[in-house]
Amino acid sequence: MSSANSGAARGGSGRPGGKPGGGRGGAGGAGGAGGKEGGKRFFFRRRKVCKFCADKIDYIDYKDVKTLSGFVPERGKVLPRRMFGTCAEHQRKLTLAIKRARNIALLPFAAE
Amino acid sequence: MSDRTYEILFIADPNLGEPEVDALTTTISGFVEKEGGKIAKNEKWGKKRLAYLIGRHREGSYVLLTVEGSGSIIKEVERRIRVTDGVIRFITVRVDEDLKKAERRKGQRTAAEEKRRAKGHVPRPAAPAAPVVTEDEGVQQ
Repeated sequence: MSSANSGAARGGSGRPGGKPGGGRGGAGGAGGAGGKEGGKRFFFRRRKVCKFCADKIDYIDYKDVKTLSGFVPERGKVLPRRMFGTCAEHQRKLTLAIKRARNIALLPFAAE
Repeated sequence: MSDRTYEILFIADPNLGEPEVDALTTTISGFVEKEGGKIAKNEKWGKKRLAYLIGRHREGSYVLLTVEGSGSIIKEVERRIRVTDGVIRFITVRVDEDLKKAERRKGQRTAAEEKRRAKGHVPRPAAPAAPVVTEDEGVQQ
């Protein structure tokens, strides 16, 4: 029993995401959980970075359809910040730019 | 007060020929100049497909004018554009403040970078993204 436990612990720590001391002294269950957690953590989502911050765009132009259409799905909706990872400031500017572009028929209000 | 910059983007009727669109542009430029404004830039985009129908039009000729002047000019010019035939849609946007802000940001950024370089740090291309990257790496290890 104890040998099996230590084997599981070794397997867990051998993994890249495993907790270093997760399944060492405690019960077998704790060790197993630590290993699972390590496995789960391995699937972390890539951290999204605001595209406008990364590209150092300070002025989001409503005339620049190419850039704007990258942030508008085909339906024409403005999507929430979590979809593209834009920062608050740039999301605000982006929304304004999209609304202006809609007004002048560069972007759709809704899909046809 | 008076040194503001505006962009007037208007869509001309697609049935108008190129000389007619040019004539329309001159007319609108005339409105601006008559009020004491200045046309800084005049850009013709040509015929583009509209994102949605305006009236019965599927296409439109876009023309962008950059105007320097005060707000009262814009008020009168907008009123005149509204009664002008051949313009199916227009938008006026004040741009000087936002552009000035963007310019200041840019200046601050280059100044900060130079400061960093003068201190002897290795200039990183994406300074604000740097801590995020290290955090991710920390999770991976």
